[in-house]
Amino acid sequence: MIRPPLATLKTSLLLLLAAVALSAAGIFWSHQQDTEARAAVQLQQAALNAAHANQQQGQTEARLIALHLDAYHALIARGFVGEENRLAWIEAVHLANQDARLYGLTYTLSPRAAAPASLASGLPLKQTRMVVKMPLLVETDLPRFIDALRARAPGLFRVSSCSLARLTDAPPQPVNRPELDAECELLWFTVAADGKEKK
Amino acid sequence: MLDHRLILLATPRQIGVLDWRPGHMHWLGEFAASEAGLAAFRQVLLKHAQLPVLLVADTVDEDYRSEVLPHVQGHARNELLARKLKQVFRNARFTGAWRQARETTGRRDDRYLLAALTDADWLTPWLSVLHRERVPLCGITPLALACQHLLARLRVQEPHTLLAYRINNSLRLSYYQNGLLRFSRLISSDTPTQLPGNAADEIAKTQLYLTGQRILPREARLHVLLLDPSGQLDSAQAPLNADPAFSTRLVDMPSLARALRIPDDFLAATPEVAPLAAIAGEAVQLNLAPPELLQRHTEFRWRHGLNLAAGIVAAIGLTLTATYWLHAQGLRDQALQIQGEAQRTDARHAAIVRNFPALATRPDQLGLTLALATQLNRAPLDVNALFLPLGQALTAHPEVVIRALTLQDTADGTAEITLDARLSEFDGNYRAAMSRIDSFVARLAATPGVVAVERVTSPVDTAPTATLTGKTTGETAPEDTRFTLSLQVRTS
Repeated sequence: MIRPPLATLKTSLLLLLAAVALSAAGIFWSHQQDTEARAAVQLQQAALNAAHANQQQGQTEARLIALHLDAYHALIARGFVGEENRLAWIEAVHLANQDARLYGLTYTLSPRAAAPASLASGLPLKQTRMVVKMPLLVETDLPRFIDALRARAPGLFRVSSCSLARLTDAPPQPVNRPELDAECELLWFTVAADGKEKK
Repeated sequence: MLDHRLILLATPRQIGVLDWRPGHMHWLGEFAASEAGLAAFRQVLLKHAQLPVLLVADTVDEDYRSEVLPHVQGHARNELLARKLKQVFRNARFTGAWRQARETTGRRDDRYLLAALTDADWLTPWLSVLHRERVPLCGITPLALACQHLLARLRVQEPHTLLAYRINNSLRLSYYQNGLLRFSRLISSDTPTQLPGNAADEIAKTQLYLTGQRILPREARLHVLLLDPSGQLDSAQAPLNADPAFSTRLVDMPSLARALRIPDDFLAATPEVAPLAAIAGEAVQLNLAPPELLQRHTEFRWRHGLNLAAGIVAAIGLTLTATYWLHAQGLRDQALQIQGEAQRTDARHAAIVRNFPALATRPDQLGLTLALATQLNRAPLDVNALFLPLGQALTAHPEVVIRALTLQDTADGTAEITLDARLSEFDGNYRAAMSRIDSFVARLAATPGVVAVERVTSPVDTAPTATLTGKTTGETAPEDTRFTLSLQVRTS
């Protein structure tokens, strides 16, 4: 078919161009709308998943709270959770010394430090080193003192090490005079209260 | 609008107009070749502006010639045909060639039917009207070709068919070989042969002419179809059937209407629409119109094609746009539903959290804190437990005097005891002293709970790798027997 002059086809060509342009614009616009709507669905789906996870976590936490709350409050009351209570510890070692009917003691408290990670189990566990020095009459005074301290302890502690040394080289005498020098390293543990307050 | 067109049946006396589209047709009337007729014809064209027009010419001034020409294609064929048409029909304006078949033997030449309107002056006024009104003329074709499509609709299978068609008070005799037009002539009403009794004679004469021209094989039996809405040709059937060279059949109007799928009454009222209806939807195989008359139709086809393309593009665009938009709306609704569900879930979570007591730690750390407290509460360094094996050994060996004792928690389930001791008495006999220390060490090692005993220092280090110094002045003291032991004791 011989092509007629372009002038005679001007209207039809313009119509075709307009159809192409409008179709392209329409497809582009609607495709954009579709893409945005798809993204919105994904966003809302992610929000829903997060909400479900939060709800599930909340239910789990509620069960945990119901299960452990009393025991946890007991730990707080005992001084294991929260700030360290040095005065109570000092009073405790003093009273334990008296309970064991010993002859006084000297103590040294080191600054609070983070406990080893292997012990902390991911919790903000802190430890405060206390070195206690005291004279003893016999070796068995040491476990009596530790038992008395454990009975009075306002927190949790561990005996890290103890050493006993004889003050004189003379054989033991049947008099009420200390002949042993004891030095114990105690570790007082506290869990720092770094959790967020929940109402 | 897709295939809507006007079909004109033009004779020197009048022109008929059929408005046709697939499945529907409407006879717009006949217009005489006069000023009034031309004006009325123009008005009809104006009412149907932009419709393509096919003109079917029915005139005695037509000529057909069969030619066998070399098989060429493209521009060469056009030039060959132009030369041949010029040679055969000289200065005739309306000529055309139709390549009907290709020979199966020899050079395999092409067989053409050449046709022309030898005198078409009567057509000029009608064409002028078409030109003035810018009507897209798609072609001019002889009525005999329209009748070929009529035979196809009637499913005529005979190889040699002569159609005797009485129309507009004239008798047209057209010969078709294997369904393709080879020859046609019109016997007008002005000639005396138009008496009904002479139709058989005209058919016989035509058969003789065709045989003489070797168009019809001599031994061939001619199948004659008599088509006459007025029924005047019925009388020709008997004499023709009496001749063994003919087999004759009458085509009645109801059969024709059924073949053309048009109502009986419409065909009965306007019998001339039959060939027009047959050719209306077909491609024009034999076009007698010169190229300059087809220019408008070329433009029309281009415009039509471009408009169709625009329509298709717009439809596709609209469909895709609507599909995407509807899908987007569905997704938006889905997003709103999900958002509502998320808000309800958040509200349920908030209701749960609202009842939580004030805690200094995260709820998931409660259990961990309790477990840690339990673990720390277990005293790994139980001094009483450590003193027990030591006391048993010392009771068994009263000669051993402890000078210093260190208990160390090693945090692996054991504790380390470092023992600094000496013997209570020493007479200078190191062998006896070492023996007693060995006995003490053996006693410790055999005590339950003691994992290992290691001698760190001895009064006399007899190891071959050690440097050993001493004096034998005779002065001895128990302090000379000091030794150090390291014990590993199980705590749990």
